[in-house]
Amino acid sequence: MAMMRYAEALNAALREEMTRDPSVFMFGEDIGRYGGVFKVSKGLMDEFGESRIRDTPISEQAMTAMAVTAAMTGTRPILEIMYADFIPLCMDALVNQASVFGYLWEGQVNMPFVLRTQGGGGVGTGAQHAKSLDSFLAHIPGIKVVAPVTPADAKGLLKAAIRDPQPVIFLEHKLLYNLRGEVPEGDDHIVPIGKARIVQSGKDVSIFATSKMVIEAEAAAKLLAKDGIDAEVIDLRTLRPLDLASIKASIAKTHHAVVVNEGWTFCGYAAELSATIMDHCFDDLDAPVMRVAMPDMPIPYSEPLELAVIPNAAKIAAAARRALA
Amino acid sequence: MANPIRVDSAGGEYMESVVVLEWTAKIGDAVKAGDLLVTVETAKAATEIEVPCDGYLTAIFAETGTEVPLSAVLGLIGVTVEDKAFEGAVAPVAPAPLTPGATAESPVSAAVSPQGSAANNRLIASPAARRQAVHQGVDLRGVRASSPTGRIKLRDLVQVPASQTYGLQAPALSTLPPDDHGPLKIYRSGPKTGTPLVMIHGFGADAQSWFPLERDLARSTPVIRIELPNHGQSPKRRVGSFANLARDITAAFDALHVDDAHIIGHSLGGACALSLADIRPRQIASLTLLAPGGLGAAINGGFVDGLARASRPESLGPWLRLMVADPKIIGDDFVVAAMASRADPTLRAAQQQMARDLFPDATQGFDLRAALARLHCPTRIIWGRADAVLPWQQALAAPGRIGLHLLEATGHVPQLERTDEVLAILRAQLREGVSS
Repeated sequence: MAMMRYAEALNAALREEMTRDPSVFMFGEDIGRYGGVFKVSKGLMDEFGESRIRDTPISEQAMTAMAVTAAMTGTRPILEIMYADFIPLCMDALVNQASVFGYLWEGQVNMPFVLRTQGGGGVGTGAQHAKSLDSFLAHIPGIKVVAPVTPADAKGLLKAAIRDPQPVIFLEHKLLYNLRGEVPEGDDHIVPIGKARIVQSGKDVSIFATSKMVIEAEAAAKLLAKDGIDAEVIDLRTLRPLDLASIKASIAKTHHAVVVNEGWTFCGYAAELSATIMDHCFDDLDAPVMRVAMPDMPIPYSEPLELAVIPNAAKIAAAARRALA
Repeated sequence: MANPIRVDSAGGEYMESVVVLEWTAKIGDAVKAGDLLVTVETAKAATEIEVPCDGYLTAIFAETGTEVPLSAVLGLIGVTVEDKAFEGAVAPVAPAPLTPGATAESPVSAAVSPQGSAANNRLIASPAARRQAVHQGVDLRGVRASSPTGRIKLRDLVQVPASQTYGLQAPALSTLPPDDHGPLKIYRSGPKTGTPLVMIHGFGADAQSWFPLERDLARSTPVIRIELPNHGQSPKRRVGSFANLARDITAAFDALHVDDAHIIGHSLGGACALSLADIRPRQIASLTLLAPGGLGAAINGGFVDGLARASRPESLGPWLRLMVADPKIIGDDFVVAAMASRADPTLRAAQQQMARDLFPDATQGFDLRAALARLHCPTRIIWGRADAVLPWQQALAAPGRIGLHLLEATGHVPQLERTDEVLAILRAQLREGVSS
């Protein structure tokens, strides 16, 4: 184990996988000489050279199509899209190419690429650099979506994503890069895609959260504990495919569910979780599923306004209390 | 009867609770309709609530400063100074105060508009509480909701007095076989695919009694017949209460693993079908009830006891003929065949016990009218106007959206006496249930 930051854990995963497999290479804007806006690829160009760590011009559409083509032709590309807000520019390659080529050609092509990006708000980056578009991506059959929260999961899930034969969208959060935690060293630390993590066990209410909202859910659980409410916090880790077994087991125990996602409310990832829970756990529910998500509005540039609209621990705790009322 | 003062008329703002700011009258004051009575703070503004009718302010449930859900009763206007009688009055419990940071625009959106469980006569209980009530054999109408939402939750079911449970006190007959807790007998016929029709027969009958309908329907529809416990080839066991019987039926239905099914039930099987549709509403495409039980207290007790006890064709025949408007259609051969299917004395003893448990003192010991009112699937009730077992007038308990087919000169078994008419109604029902 080594204590490292989230960004360093990602860097370690990239270094290990690029060392292990010469077909792994990475490209994106400012990832080479500059080491990435969030320093995830720091030092990798010096170590692996300009052919395996490539700086590209600003064209997310071309970059995503490149990732698809490179993956089809036998390499394992890792594409960094600097902000999740630019994901709409990548959509055609994801929706009409990456997700369907395996099907169209009867499994004759694999699509082993990883699209890394980061989203989320809370630091005054405004309406074009703070969004969480998780539901856009998790909506596409044939594409896996993961969103690690801890440095250990960041490393283990990135290694799993690079080795996966299908396209994997790897969602980071700009407020997680400096988070420190113990990270297992070495090649064999793989976190399987599709497995949730029980952050803390509880008996009264289940809080299912994604990405940075897991941190808020943990803080909410501390607020609730002061009132004697024993909350279970579950980090979904993988948004698609969903770990339904963990969700069902938790609700069978607590009978109350709060779902939390930083994306917009309407047609959002939280809505999908809520509907899935009602499909599978209806008779176990003792209250309606409570949804905590971003209001349907642009993210304000003003930091006080931004903090007022982003889901937080207080809103999650209020939702849990409402479920338990 | 006092009139409630409610908040819900305060405006259509998007809000879930209000804070009481000021009462302009004291308890005991005479008040006039239209006068300002209480001011509440909504999400956007202060709203004034007027006196709904002339009378006296006889109760204040929400004092100044209290936060209450939107549809809470704030107080009562009595006809007299003493009048505090109000059906379903529940003093509102203040919900947990909103945590700082949880603004009124908080995207916590799954909250229901809270309704008291008495609202619209519709019982409001969580799915988990409903399931638990079935397991405990508890009638939820006797359970008080502790939540400010008015919804009955699991915690409300922990300590329910025995007097609120369905009768479990009937002594057991001594000749009963030991309880067999195996699964109920299921018969399948017809095509393998398509939305199936699940049939539940009545007391004293068995799955074979569906033959007139089944032979026709199974040509085009998958047919699944469930046999009640203590009937036909199903296991014999003491059911004790209707709630337990409903649980047996639900378990048998769940074991079918069907996403969607049309349900038809006759008599006691109709009551079972109705409770199944109440417990598993999402899986029911349509419901057809033939002279169903559970819609009133009255039942021909002599018939139930006589049918269960009859050990010879001579004693069975008169009761079978009571079931039809035209006794000539029950010939001696029919009676002998029916007796042969009831030859097992332990079956008859088990059915007698079941009759005592479900129909104590010639009374239907269970009431499903609330469940009938809750139904959303296409539902039809078919009843013979010459029914001598269950009075057809019980069909009138059905809400207006439920179709009633009250057949002339027909007894308790319309599917036997009016096979073609019942088939025509059922085919229409299957079509409607599929398209909806």
